[in-house]
Parts: sequence; structure tokens; C-alpha cells
Amino acid sequence: MSAEHHTAPETGPALRVKALEAVLREKGLVDSRAIDVLVETYETKIGPKNGAKVVARAWVDPAYKARLLEDATAAIAELGFSGVQGEDMVALENTPDTHNMVVCTLCSCYPWPTLGLPPVWYKSAPYRARAVSDPRGVLREFGLDLPDQVEIRVWDTSAEVRYLVIPERPSGTEHMSEDELVALVTRDAMIGVAKVQPPARKTR
Amino acid sequence: MSLLTPDSVPTVVTTGASTRRASQAVTPRFKLGDRVVARNLNPIGHTRLPRYVRGKHGVIHHDHGLFVFPDTSAHGEGDKPQHVYSVRFESRELWGAIADPRASLYIDLWEDYLERA
Repeated sequence: MSAEHHTAPETGPALRVKALEAVLREKGLVDSRAIDVLVETYETKIGPKNGAKVVARAWVDPAYKARLLEDATAAIAELGFSGVQGEDMVALENTPDTHNMVVCTLCSCYPWPTLGLPPVWYKSAPYRARAVSDPRGVLREFGLDLPDQVEIRVWDTSAEVRYLVIPERPSGTEHMSEDELVALVTRDAMIGVAKVQPPARKTR
Repeated sequence: MSLLTPDSVPTVVTTGASTRRASQAVTPRFKLGDRVVARNLNPIGHTRLPRYVRGKHGVIHHDHGLFVFPDTSAHGEGDKPQHVYSVRFESRELWGAIADPRASLYIDLWEDYLERA
């Protein structure tokens, strides 16, 4: 038989996950259908759109923004977002003078209810090492060249609190509705490695 | 042990499991503005004290309240709830003269990781 009739062996981590799931299932500790629902939840229901709704609300509603900065967990729950890896939240406001960015140097801690699961680069050793030692250089590589006078605050979220960055509202958005603003807010801006860009000018 | 069922997933996901222990009262050892040093601990087992802050000097920025201590709970040795502080370190304290003078690092550290500077 030729080689193409054989299925290529799975890679190490995929194989390990399958083996773990099989053992847990055999022991009656997990239900595969529950895992499917979990995966589906984080693939289709919970993601950065949630965080974008929080940010847009903070931009249009000063009282909400005040509550968000005072008690982020409660303010985020007002919009219906709560739970695993978002049990204890803090919101960080970016301003023209101060830029906040978030990293987990020990692993990949991330605010799931508002941002979903973390991107691959967030979990990579280079980001985790260099975000703390050379944040301005890392931001430049993300395409964000901050002036030297802007203070950078790096938040290592390796304990229990999870952080959501409230990016600056771009100029030219004064007449936009809350829903239109939601569409502008990106995941990277809520991690603090980007700014929210003004809407593209309509060409005639 | 309870089995995670498909029906219970939405509740589990939106409820979570905070390790905050709000109901207990423990007097904090540190207050905002206190100068502290991260202890040079090198345990064999689990810890959330990253190597790059050990022995470094910082300032208490915020008190998050009481949380379960991972260094004991991860080994089945009890919750040992204690205050977790946001501690601010200057980049130059962590990385030396080459570091950005206008950058700083905020990290949440359990009280047992800290001593008065």
C-alpha cells in the first residue's frame, strides 16, 4: 500500500489532549458532550465583541465609565458578561499621557468573558518576556509608535485579577452611535497593544 | 466528583469560581504607598511569584483584598487566604539602566511574597 492511504500521526499536544480526554471519560469525570458545548461556547458566543460593547458603553456613558473604573466586575456584569476568568476584573483607562498594556508572564491569563480565549501570540514566550522588559519596543512591532513622553504601564496579570484596557475613543467618532462604536473596537486595543483607529473616510 | 454535563455548562461558564475570600477579615500588613521588596523565594512547587521581580523594590499601588494562596492550595495544603496587592516596579529597577525611564510594571502579589523595604 502506498503511504497516502495512511493517516498522518497526530502532533504531540493534540495526541496528549485526546489521551487525557479518553482517560477522564473512562473514569466518568467528564462528558464529551459537555466539552463540545464548552468549545462551541468559546468559538461562537464569547469573544472580543463582548469587551467592545463594554468599551463603547464607557465611551458614550460617563456614569457607566465611572462605575467601570470603580468596580469593573459589577459594571461588566451589567451588560451580561461574567464568569470563568473574569471573576475579578479591573478596567484600565488609556489616555494621551498614559498607555496600559496587559501580559501574563507566567502563562496565558486573560479575561475570557470580555475577550474570549487569548490569541496565540499572547501565549508565546517572546511576547511574555519582552512585554515586561521592552514594552515600547514591543508596541512598535505591533505598529504602535508611542511618543517618548507617553508613560507605559505594563500589567502582569499572573495572579487572580484580570484586566481590560479601555482604549481612547478616536477623534472623528463624535456622531457615531454606540453600535457603530462597538464595531471599531478591536481585541488588540483591549489588550493594550494597539489603539482604536478612526473610521475609514468614505470616498466619493 | 460531580460530572460536568452539557446542561450545566452555561451556568458554570457564566458563574466561574472566584478565589476571592470576601467574607473573611484579615488585617493587611501593607497600605498604599508602602515601599516593599519581593522576597527571593525559590520554592520547588507552584508559585505565582515570577522570578523577574524577586529581590526587587516596589511600591504598594492597590489592595485587591483577600485571595486563596496558590502556593499552599495547589498542593492541598489549605487556602491560607491573604491580601493580594498590586505592586508597582519601575522598569529600571527590574531591568537596569538600559530600561525605559517612562515605563513601569504593575503586578499582583500575595502578602507572603512581600516584605517591608
